[in-house]
Amino acid sequence: MIQSIDYAAIAPPLILALAAGLVLLLDAFLGRPRAPGFAALGGVLLSTAAVAWLAVEGAGRATFCIPGELRGGGPASCSYVADRFTLVISAVMLGAAVVVVLLSMTELARGDVPAGEWYFLLLCAFAGAVALPASRDLVMLVVSLELVSLPVFVLAALRRYDGRAGEAALKLFLVSVVSTAVMLFGASLVYGVTGEIHLERIAAVLAGARFTDAVPAPGAGAPVAVAGVVLVLAGFAFKVAAVPFHFWAGDVYRGAPVPVAALLSVISKAAGFAGLILLFTLAFPALRGVWGPLVAVLAAATMTVGNLLALRQRHAVRLLAWSSVAQSGYILAPLASADRGAVPASVAYLALYAAMNMGAFAVVAVVARTRAGNELDDYRGLWAVSPWSAAALGFFLVCLAGLPPGLAGLFAKIVVFREVVAGGLGWLAIVMAINTVIGLYYYIAWAGRLFAAVRPGRAVPVTAPAGVAVAIALVATGVFSALPQLAISALG
Amino acid sequence: MDGYFGSYAVVGALLLIGVGIFAGAMTANRLLRPHRPTPEKLLTYECGVDPVGEGWAQSHVRYYVFAYLYVVFAVDAVFLFPWATVFAAPGFGVATLVEMFVFLGFIALGIVYAWRKNVLGWT
Repeated sequence: MIQSIDYAAIAPPLILALAAGLVLLLDAFLGRPRAPGFAALGGVLLSTAAVAWLAVEGAGRATFCIPGELRGGGPASCSYVADRFTLVISAVMLGAAVVVVLLSMTELARGDVPAGEWYFLLLCAFAGAVALPASRDLVMLVVSLELVSLPVFVLAALRRYDGRAGEAALKLFLVSVVSTAVMLFGASLVYGVTGEIHLERIAAVLAGARFTDAVPAPGAGAPVAVAGVVLVLAGFAFKVAAVPFHFWAGDVYRGAPVPVAALLSVISKAAGFAGLILLFTLAFPALRGVWGPLVAVLAAATMTVGNLLALRQRHAVRLLAWSSVAQSGYILAPLASADRGAVPASVAYLALYAAMNMGAFAVVAVVARTRAGNELDDYRGLWAVSPWSAAALGFFLVCLAGLPPGLAGLFAKIVVFREVVAGGLGWLAIVMAINTVIGLYYYIAWAGRLFAAVRPGRAVPVTAPAGVAVAIALVATGVFSALPQLAISALG
Repeated sequence: MDGYFGSYAVVGALLLIGVGIFAGAMTANRLLRPHRPTPEKLLTYECGVDPVGEGWAQSHVRYYVFAYLYVVFAVDAVFLFPWATVFAAPGFGVATLVEMFVFLGFIALGIVYAWRKNVLGWT
């Protein structure tokens, strides 16, 4: 059957996919090394414009719906929905994507990485990241999530003859494949029990409705459905590096090029959380009694273990890796509460975290060019030689720690605290409070090194694209610090 | 032979019968045949040609690209077959035809890129 496709609704990922094809052609026929980068940047900006247009229009478009005669008396169940949640997450992804592309321009200036392949793979991952929050059925979700994951293995390994990069790529590949297998198994169990792939229909069937005679109607407590939900949760926990599925993060972030580490820590993670939120709030609300406590325990373990591991790190990217594991815990925490405000709180934290973390990675990418070791001690006295870089990194670190003047991080934590307490999870709030204090130590210890009075090393030259990247992150974090309601009330 | 586990009993019985037939045939063969081995008879049989070298052989890395491209096209061809059976059926129109060529265009893009990057040449 032919479906009419609402091209306006799917414009954001479509533009990115077409830009990916254009990048390959430009690289193959034009022969100018910088052209693919600008084409990629143009594609991301155009896609952002499409998201902005959809947001201004505010119609909440949906496409790829079930045709009338096949609905079986159920809802229309569209596979692709561009509602407010979709647009907010897409905007976060695309903002981070602009920074990643700008950092790539600096990274690729050395010429040891093929530009065409690099930007093609980046754009493919972005297309998946933008399609994922719009997905409303299991197949779309899994395909989009794989579209985010697959290019990243290659991106991590694209700097050839680099042992660490190869190791990072292999670890990421194995972890990701295993997690996908686990998630697919869980999804197939859910499909087997409910006979539906659309999220709202799964929710309806688990709550007792029936649209097809193919499967017997299960009660909400059907053990197979519970097993499926737990397996899906485990698969997503791998993707967002939640404890106990976190062990890959340190080595992978460290070995991959810094822009790829930034992509992993923000875009890939946001994709995982978007999928988690969609599945658990739209498809499995009937089983909240099963996954709610699990998510609470995961959140507490993730923030604690991530913070304790971050305490011991001497390498800048490894510290950011473990700290981003800890931040995953804060994002998970509100989801554990059965409250209506849970999703807005998680999404607000995700947006604020994306701005701050992209900024920190941008400055680290700049510093890594001249101080290849990238140890924390390489940042000692950075203030004396590169005051702007040092000030920017200091601001991002203070934000991540959640101290004034970095109000973005503070507000993010307050939103999550309020939500966790409102959800009746007092013990989780206490664990969070302790972890916030642990996080203070390593962020502030790093920020303190920047301003240490030592014999200054070489200055850190900032290339134009990297400078713009840091400026974008700085403006975003600054705006969120002054007007946190932009993120907090993004979902109403 | 009723009930949930009864149906597994049928599978088990079939398995036993299968093993029995196979073992019986081989044992009968063993008992009836003469046994006079020569070195040639004990050699691995390979299409009538004497086996050469070890089982672990290296092939040139250049084959990798061609094998890879072959796999890509073999997998994509799978999508063509179901499409070919329905695109002329009522209810499907020009859009169905165009969609497949959009898909093929994206694959062709990969080949064009490989060609421009001199991946397809042998030397």
